[in-house]
Amino acid sequence: MRKLVIVLALTLAAAIPASAQQINMNFPELEARAEEVVDITLDAQMLRMASKFFSGRDADERAVRDMISGLHGIYVRSYEFAKEGEYDRKIAERLKAQLGPTWKPLVTVRSKKKENVNIYANMVGDRVTGLVIISAEPREFTVVNINGPIDIERLSQLEGQFGIPELSKEK
Amino acid sequence: MNLENDLRRVLRRESPPAGFAGRVLERIEREPARKPRAWWHAAAASVTLAAVLGGYGAYRVAEHRRGEFAKEQVLTAMRIAGEKVKYAQEEVRAIGSHD
Repeated sequence: MRKLVIVLALTLAAAIPASAQQINMNFPELEARAEEVVDITLDAQMLRMASKFFSGRDADERAVRDMISGLHGIYVRSYEFAKEGEYDRKIAERLKAQLGPTWKPLVTVRSKKKENVNIYANMVGDRVTGLVIISAEPREFTVVNINGPIDIERLSQLEGQFGIPELSKEK
Repeated sequence: MNLENDLRRVLRRESPPAGFAGRVLERIEREPARKPRAWWHAAAASVTLAAVLGGYGAYRVAEHRRGEFAKEQVLTAMRIAGEKVKYAQEEVRAIGSHD
């Protein structure tokens, strides 16, 4: 009986942090109105599979492989609209409301002309164990949820690698 | 005459031992049945082997496609995330440089 209680407690302890980081990223109202939708769902199994396809010889690919090796999931939803004001900006607030007390705001950028960006980190001690990026532009809404330990500095350095043009330069 | 007698003796009719016909029939029944079974087993083994190898090959191809697709998804996700983080960092740095 005592063993059973310990096993149950350990199971719950393992399950609670994992579920606490799960955020509802279903936005059917945005999906219906958007002109373009990017929907990426990569769970731990898919990430493990993907990591096998990153070359160990190429430094850039190795960097991504190392970055995703400890992650539990990557979820991206991005919606691009034909014209401005096609989505309710309060959706960002609804997302923020889902974040638990361990989530801390890292960066908040508010701009009248460009995009508003909110970056939240799930902090366990000094470690970042999850990241949520909410970007609201007049014609675009993007949410990224990275579940697992992540190096934010290295993440920002990835842009422009692998022959992928930097998005910020396209604008 | 001796030769004729010898031939008669040698070629005289003799009844087979008891159960001879039954044993012959039993053996006839047994022998042809063994050959098709061996052929069937070989064919079944070949088909099974081909199915296993084919299935494994198809599985490997499907896994490779899934892996490549997952890799592309990872790169797209990292690109989007990286772009947003970089934009935020640049905005923060720009504000810092104004101060």
